[in-house]
Amino acid sequence: MNHSRKLSIAILLGTSVVASFLAWRNITSPIDFADLKTVLTTTTATFGSLLGIITAGLMFTHGKFSELASELGEKSPDYLSGTLSLEKAQTIGNSLLALRKTFSLLETQATVEEEKNLYRRVVEKASSMYTKLAVLSDLMLMQQGLAKTDLMISEMDSQLYVNYREERKQVKREWHILVTIRQMVDTWEGSKTLVLEKYEKRTSLQQDLRNSISLLGLKERLDKNSKHVRAETEEIYNELAEDIGKIGKQLYQDRIPQLLSQMENANTIRGKYFYLALVFIATPLFINILILPQLSIGTATFFQPIISITSSLSVMGIAFLLLYINRILSV
Amino acid sequence: MSRVKKTVEEQMRALLTKHGYPPPEVVIPILEKAGRGEKELGAQLHEIDMSLLSGIMKILNLKEKNMRTVSRMIGVIFSSYGQKYEPIELSENRFRLSVSDCPMLHVGKNVNTTVKSKFCDVYCSSTAKAMAQLVLGEEGSCSWDKALIKGGRKCTVTFDLVKTK
Repeated sequence: MNHSRKLSIAILLGTSVVASFLAWRNITSPIDFADLKTVLTTTTATFGSLLGIITAGLMFTHGKFSELASELGEKSPDYLSGTLSLEKAQTIGNSLLALRKTFSLLETQATVEEEKNLYRRVVEKASSMYTKLAVLSDLMLMQQGLAKTDLMISEMDSQLYVNYREERKQVKREWHILVTIRQMVDTWEGSKTLVLEKYEKRTSLQQDLRNSISLLGLKERLDKNSKHVRAETEEIYNELAEDIGKIGKQLYQDRIPQLLSQMENANTIRGKYFYLALVFIATPLFINILILPQLSIGTATFFQPIISITSSLSVMGIAFLLLYINRILSV
Repeated sequence: MSRVKKTVEEQMRALLTKHGYPPPEVVIPILEKAGRGEKELGAQLHEIDMSLLSGIMKILNLKEKNMRTVSRMIGVIFSSYGQKYEPIELSENRFRLSVSDCPMLHVGKNVNTTVKSKFCDVYCSSTAKAMAQLVLGEEGSCSWDKALIKGGRKCTVTFDLVKTK
């Protein structure tokens, strides 16, 4: 956790404690009717003003999100027509299918659980990449105004087809194409740092394949008949490494991962602003419609705890807002 | 300057990807079940270590055959695999380091300590042999105390150079 986040949490906790203390003090010591009315009116006004600021923040984050979406949307057609052509998609698809076939067989032949798991991971990742590639292939045909072919779909089994349909449904905007490409590259490459994810739970397909090739190399020493499997896998590995490596390089050159991450942040903050706006709309409505019209000395005594809490909430609301403004400036 | 640095990093990544060790957490249960293959594993590891270490020497342009070179090469390999290590001693004749993590610790719990200890020797002796062949010469030796496998917090690895007259 970084320093600024720790500070933000400390401020938030501090404010919550102060607000709770003030609320508790007001509940335990009754205040007079006129003061209570002033508190309610001030609280309503505070919530109203904050709502205005929150709405501005919501619009700002939405603007940032739209700006990034449009920048990515402009870049995505280049990826479908240049970086990833139909021919290349076909070549990568064939390699992934070959991997799937070989490692499914190896998985059934393996008797040790750890070995089975390694081969299963290769099958799962190759399948996941294949479905994403099939979606991209569809979009390429659409972009080029060509008739849809079922070439890649015909090679799928029922489960793979279900996954493909799911993936296809998720691509609704142009920038979603880049998300799919990035996910495909990430499945292959994993982390971009020098440290290999050897002991991390999520390894890359590249790492699983290297481990498998190394393991097959050992098996080859023990049993000469398994020689062709290692050689074929190594050949496929080299082809994939070259093809996907180029796509990955292009993605990083165009700063796509950074832009997508910024979009994700903007989207998260936009969502939080939305819920915050709902709270700040609901609270003044609650005060104005339910409490204020019925406020007599009797009801004031009855509503006093609620009024104390809402007025404390308005103090906390200001703290929340300051924190969000701080976050928004870093998007 | 940054371009040069990037090239070294890229070369190193390619080297480590090309010459990957067979994963102990998978290999050991297989060989344990088969009851054979230690010798073949040792031969494969030695080939990998020779390619890997000579590759590192070439990329980093390490020409001097001394303990400093050993320490740099060990540093590169350990940090590339995300393995934490701490140098304890570096002199003309000795390089000692301690490691707080070991690939053997990631081997399944159902594999007993004796088997882990045996394969620890297979993996470590291969690197030690390659290091002696490439950097230290015949006077070089390496030892490891296997403390991590025995339940200790750190394992100490020592490279020694005994100068003969």
